Amino acid sequence: MDKKLIVRGVTRMEFKKFITYLIPWFILLGIGLYAMYLVFRYGLNHTNMDNRFAFGLWIYFDLAIIALGAGAFFTGLLLYVFKRHEFKSVINSAVVIGFICYSGAIAALVVDVGQPLRAWFTLYRPNAHSMLAEVTFCLSLYLTVLAVEYVPIVMKNRKLKQLPSFLVFEFKLHKVMPLLAGVGALLSFFHQGSLGGMFGVLNGQPFAFRETVLVFPSTFFLFVLSAIAAGPSFILLTTWLVSKISGKRLVTKDVLMSLGKISGILLIIYVFFKSIDSLVWLNKTSPAVGFSAADHYGFAPFGIWILSLEIILLGLVPGLILINKKLRARTSWLLTGAVLACAGVALNRFVTTIQTLSLPTLPFADFLTYTPTWEETAIFLMVIAYGVILYSFSFRYLPLFPQERELHTK
Amino acid sequence: MFPWVHEFRWELGHLIFTGGFAMVLVVVLTGITVAFRKVYEVYKKNTVDKILWEATFEDLPTISRSCRHAISGVFKERTCNNLFDCRECAVHAQLVRNKIPEKVFQKAGHDGDAEIFGLAIPLDRMYHRGHTWVKQDEDGNYLVGIDDFAKRLVGKPEEIVFPQIGNRLYANGRGWIMKRGKTDVRILSPVDGEVIETGDSEKGWYLKIKPAENNQNTNHLMKNGVEIKAWFMKELERLQFALATDQVGASLADGGVLTDDLPKSNPDADWDGVYGEIFLEP
Repeated sequence: MDKKLIVRGVTRMEFKKFITYLIPWFILLGIGLYAMYLVFRYGLNHTNMDNRFAFGLWIYFDLAIIALGAGAFFTGLLLYVFKRHEFKSVINSAVVIGFICYSGAIAALVVDVGQPLRAWFTLYRPNAHSMLAEVTFCLSLYLTVLAVEYVPIVMKNRKLKQLPSFLVFEFKLHKVMPLLAGVGALLSFFHQGSLGGMFGVLNGQPFAFRETVLVFPSTFFLFVLSAIAAGPSFILLTTWLVSKISGKRLVTKDVLMSLGKISGILLIIYVFFKSIDSLVWLNKTSPAVGFSAADHYGFAPFGIWILSLEIILLGLVPGLILINKKLRARTSWLLTGAVLACAGVALNRFVTTIQTLSLPTLPFADFLTYTPTWEETAIFLMVIAYGVILYSFSFRYLPLFPQERELHTK
Repeated sequence: MFPWVHEFRWELGHLIFTGGFAMVLVVVLTGITVAFRKVYEVYKKNTVDKILWEATFEDLPTISRSCRHAISGVFKERTCNNLFDCRECAVHAQLVRNKIPEKVFQKAGHDGDAEIFGLAIPLDRMYHRGHTWVKQDEDGNYLVGIDDFAKRLVGKPEEIVFPQIGNRLYANGRGWIMKRGKTDVRILSPVDGEVIETGDSEKGWYLKIKPAENNQNTNHLMKNGVEIKAWFMKELERLQFALATDQVGASLADGGVLTDDLPKSNPDADWDGVYGEIFLEP
């Protein structure tokens, strides 16, 4: 039965091996579900967050995977709107990764809000002046769009497509994909931006507060730019990783190089604006409220090194690697660039979430520290396990890489 | 944030927020509704086979979608984007009008062979890209069978599932199914018409089809020996790729001939994948 579900003309590991490989992930999923139960049953006191350190591991993780998941909407935009047909070979995988990232983020948020049964309040009675209201709306809608984009891929399963009506529906639904890709890009633009904007408007937190550009704080645009810069790198990395684990050639090298090039160009643009933003913030915005650079970077471990690391080693360096054709052509450099780019966006989200809350903002306040509880860590790992399991099943039974069949003989 | 919720105010901010949300929701729902509507129309107009072929064709690898004029040497390289339906292909029509294929065939210096690497290629019939042939019977109806290449690939099928007598078939639509091993091999119909009789391997043909009154055009079928030979060569190459394993790659010995029952001679091969590749059903 298992073989009848696998894409025609490609081979996958034996079913027993596949299940054995998934067991550890299912165990992690189980532990996470138990932790989830504890948080739902006994409340957020099972976490180390409090009224002052209200954002912890989960929000950091949400911001990071939502940024990395931007590869889905951006690849869709490049393929369906800008007609970059080479990305057809990775779009299915990108959609699945996007769906995993966004659904995983929402799963973590459901636990984080503490009262998940009242989550619909944010849609029904939102605060129109809150950036989070926009985030809630856009995330919910974009997850819906991703689910609709996922449906045709599921319907391409070998067994399902034998039902003529399924294949016909898949075909017709695929025809409206450019529309959905456009809507997805719009939603992504706003929620990525609003996530950044949410920190940029915190005028009680000088580390995060930024100047306004066209109504929005500068972090609005920087979050969008960094997400679309790192997104293609994340698709590149996952494709390479899946290829290595499965031992199959999944796409041609030029597709990975194109993803790297786009990532590189956008990273350079991002680094340029991020540098200007940092200079304006350190020399104007922050001093205006009585905070110097030393106030932001004088508390270990958050020294000035972290800003240099983010902008230079994890921003400028991968950008230069990825825009260089000769370096990009070498797999080791291409991967190095992509890893650094993804690490850069992850560090940016970490700094934005954690450093902002750690730093004292009043003369009598202390530098705060926070260590996640085992429940928080377990739920974080549960989302990763969920992603691995869903992607593994999708890779096994769905045509995620249409070029694979053609490439296995070349 | 909805007009019926008491916090709602008729202010610009609230209107933009509600309007934006509603607009996106409407666009997404409209997209899905349009897809459902199109499916309904497909079933109403009975064009399921056409859509199934379109969906299948999109998934074919580039090597399987070579234009017949690229295979025969008119073009150096060209991929078909017209569903293998030369009847409605502007490029094909222009080439035929200018007699370009004819010139290329004449240049080949022969009419094509009746045999290639042990495969019989009778030239009294027309060939379809799905490895079927069509021959006009004395009564004007079409006899449809599978070519020698397909015969050797499928070997002795355990069962054949024919369409019902009276069923309407469409060129490139579903024809009949041959069951070999654990695989159902879907054979494409080469022409439009109504099934009036079914045959078997003993008779040498599988379907007798009464041509459709409104579409007897056979421009999509290959008739010239030179072109057919070139296509068979290409198909042998595709077979090598399809049979190749991850470790070894394409490795059919040069000069070898296909046995009468390939699955029997090479039972370890991924026949399911090979059938999908060769019979254009990925």
